[in-house]
Amino acid sequence: MSFNGSKDLVEEGDVVILYIAPSNMHSLEVTPKTLNKKGILVENVFQTVYGALKVASLVGAKYGAKVDLSRGWAYVLQPTSDLWTLTLPHRTQIIYTPDISNIVYLMELEPGDTVIETGTGSGSLSHALINAIKPHGHLYTFDFHEQRVSVADIEFKKHGLERYVTVEQRDVCQTGFGDALEGKANAIFLDLPHPWLTIEHATRCFRKSGGRLCSFSPCIEQVQRTCEKLMSAGFIEIKTIECLQRELTVQYKTVPVLKLECLKSKHTDDNRNENNGKEVGGLERLVTVSHAHSLPGHTGYITIATLPPIGRRSC
Amino acid sequence: MNELDAEVVKVGDYVVVQRQNYYKLHKVTANGNLLLGKDQLEMSSIIGRPMWTTYKMEAKVTGKRLYTLLETKEVESLSKDLKSVLPSGLDNRSIIDDGTSQQLSTEDIVGLREAGKSSKEIVGKLIENSKTFQNKTEYSQAKYLKKKEKKYFEYITIRKPTIRLIQDIYFRMDHQKISSLRMDTLAQLLSYSGVNADGLYMVYDSGSQGLPASAMLHRIGAGTNGKLIHMHPGNIPQRTLIQAMNFPEEQLRRMLTVNIYSLIRMYYQGTEQFLEVSKYKAKSDTLNVECIVLESNDTDFTEDVANPKVPKAEAEVKAEGITEDNSSNRAVNSFESKGLKRKLKDAPSHEPPKKPKWLIETQEAVEIMKVTKADGLAIIAKEHPLNIIKGLLPFLGISRPFVIYHSSREPLQETYVALKQRSDVINLRLFANFLRSHQVLPDRTHPDILMSDTGGYLLYGYLVD
Ligand SMILES: C[S@@+](CC[C@H](N)C(=O)[O-])C[C@H]1O[C@@H](n2cnc3c(N)ncnc32)[C@H](O)[C@@H]1O
Repeated sequence: MSFNGSKDLVEEGDVVILYIAPSNMHSLEVTPKTLNKKGILVENVFQTVYGALKVASLVGAKYGAKVDLSRGWAYVLQPTSDLWTLTLPHRTQIIYTPDISNIVYLMELEPGDTVIETGTGSGSLSHALINAIKPHGHLYTFDFHEQRVSVADIEFKKHGLERYVTVEQRDVCQTGFGDALEGKANAIFLDLPHPWLTIEHATRCFRKSGGRLCSFSPCIEQVQRTCEKLMSAGFIEIKTIECLQRELTVQYKTVPVLKLECLKSKHTDDNRNENNGKEVGGLERLVTVSHAHSLPGHTGYITIATLPPIGRRSC
Repeated sequence: MNELDAEVVKVGDYVVVQRQNYYKLHKVTANGNLLLGKDQLEMSSIIGRPMWTTYKMEAKVTGKRLYTLLETKEVESLSKDLKSVLPSGLDNRSIIDDGTSQQLSTEDIVGLREAGKSSKEIVGKLIENSKTFQNKTEYSQAKYLKKKEKKYFEYITIRKPTIRLIQDIYFRMDHQKISSLRMDTLAQLLSYSGVNADGLYMVYDSGSQGLPASAMLHRIGAGTNGKLIHMHPGNIPQRTLIQAMNFPEEQLRRMLTVNIYSLIRMYYQGTEQFLEVSKYKAKSDTLNVECIVLESNDTDFTEDVANPKVPKAEAEVKAEGITEDNSSNRAVNSFESKGLKRKLKDAPSHEPPKKPKWLIETQEAVEIMKVTKADGLAIIAKEHPLNIIKGLLPFLGISRPFVIYHSSREPLQETYVALKQRSDVINLRLFANFLRSHQVLPDRTHPDILMSDTGGYLLYGYLVD
């Protein structure tokens, strides 16, 4: 229940983030006991590179506190959307915070909105969508994969988010989003292999006042088909962007400095001493950054469009 | 929530005026005009009409580019109407561009415009008098018509302002006015600050027309419990883009706007001591914070504070994205602060001393900060951010994120090094983004020719015990 509003202390049943380093974080559920491989209830011990953590010891700890591992320490944090995305169990490809940020921003989400999402996948985006529209908004999220639907459903309940979200198993390309959602949504998000097959269904689900539709696709052919459909369905302001986040590693760099000026004239004893007796010399220490040698060069294209209100649509 | 009929334009509202791909922010007054490119539009007809209404620009008097607005449902499309009736060439082998293909002179064209001819008539004439149009390929004819359509388009649509639209207007017009906050950077700033409907958030902004605070207040939402403390370094906060969102009173009241020096001094020294030290007993209505030094390269802002000019009578926000416009239309915040200053000066000095609003809000913010730690902190600084983050971290809760934006990398690098030494800051990361948009058309999909490389830098981290 640690996803709905900030809290000070870790309680049993919370999902927490164990922070060891930016590239070494884990999410774990605070349950004192767990089932082992043989199905027997045993003490819940979490293994990290710095040794073991007795999970029960987290209960009552302050969020943000340092906790001991058997060979080091870690920090226990309350999950934010971003931390959850970085640590969640992957059941599919997921969308990460840089793209999520643009998606939430471009869909112009605010508390109270009704949003449709498909497919649910691993629920990475779903958590961020819920965060943006709670407390009085609602997310309807669809996936045709039975297990992903049921795991997502359990996850939302565990996280205390079930009031804000409905998960449903459905092939949205074949059967749309259901009659109950017609005229209900003010934002619709698509992340599935054939987004263009859902546009007609999606269009029906928008409110009379229209709204924003966003589609995330790795391939440009998917984007082309989707844009064509969007245009003929009466969407306007259709835009496609891609955004890559580049991490810069701050570091000290010490660079040698050549001294060439002094070569122009004969040495006096003075400048010989300055340079430690050498003719060239000197080091400069700089704060600078290094760029990643290898990094994701592509995640997906974000296509975003506006559906005008009824009566102002061109089709 | 917002169904169609509820959203009617009222005097005092801000609206976005859209003419094709061009958008402009406008404050609705009873008899206001709007300058759109070189065209003057009388805006009063939009009052009482719903958002999303489209109007045709009707020339009012011949000889001047002054228009009234007529509500319309139909929008004539030049490209569709004109193109279908004309033949076209197969390729461009016979096109010679010697600058003489258009036989109408510039004066002729201006004449047509001033005679109040419709855009269809004008462009029809242009095509008639073009030696090369009929030889152009269908594709380049369409491109030509699109270009002409843009120039002569006579329809506007009134839109409700959104963060996306107003950011876009300002970023295109004068990105420095909003601290060069590019759309993706602003989006990430919002994500990393953790802002949502629940909790207390703090934002320091040294001058971006109020865009970051406005975007955060939008995320906090209407009818929720979320609160925002909006800190600024100057005498008068920049709030244009907060006002531009037409937030309901209830939502605006959950944002406290305070001067950062006053806030910190009052927090540590108490109200009495604070008023003593700063020598402005509660009778003074203006805030004369003695340590304001705006070390910024934003000359616009410094100018605004230092040289008040006569405010314009017309309350209008001018945000231009078209190059033909002159830059004198651009002053927005200047107008606001000047207007306020004059009002303060005009106030009779013998009025009974009343607690000024800034003092009440500062006290309120201090009271909140004494009992509650913030759930997220965002800093958008033109100054060096190190002292700002050091000053504000004590008010952030542990296990909560902070994010700092700067348009240059070096100040964030230095801040990174300094914060890295502390044992209570983790997950420090420095980012820059690459953003590019694409033209998606059948057989003609490619990245857009122009992109923006002014995304700035973000430093992100968490406070711990
Ligand atoms: C890449 S995943 C989505 C990941 C998700 N956005 C996240 O961030 O965790 C795509 C999902 O779409 C689902 N899917 C594919 N085709 C579908 C269809 N026609 N109807 C419903 N779901 C579909 C798949 O089962 C898969 O889980």
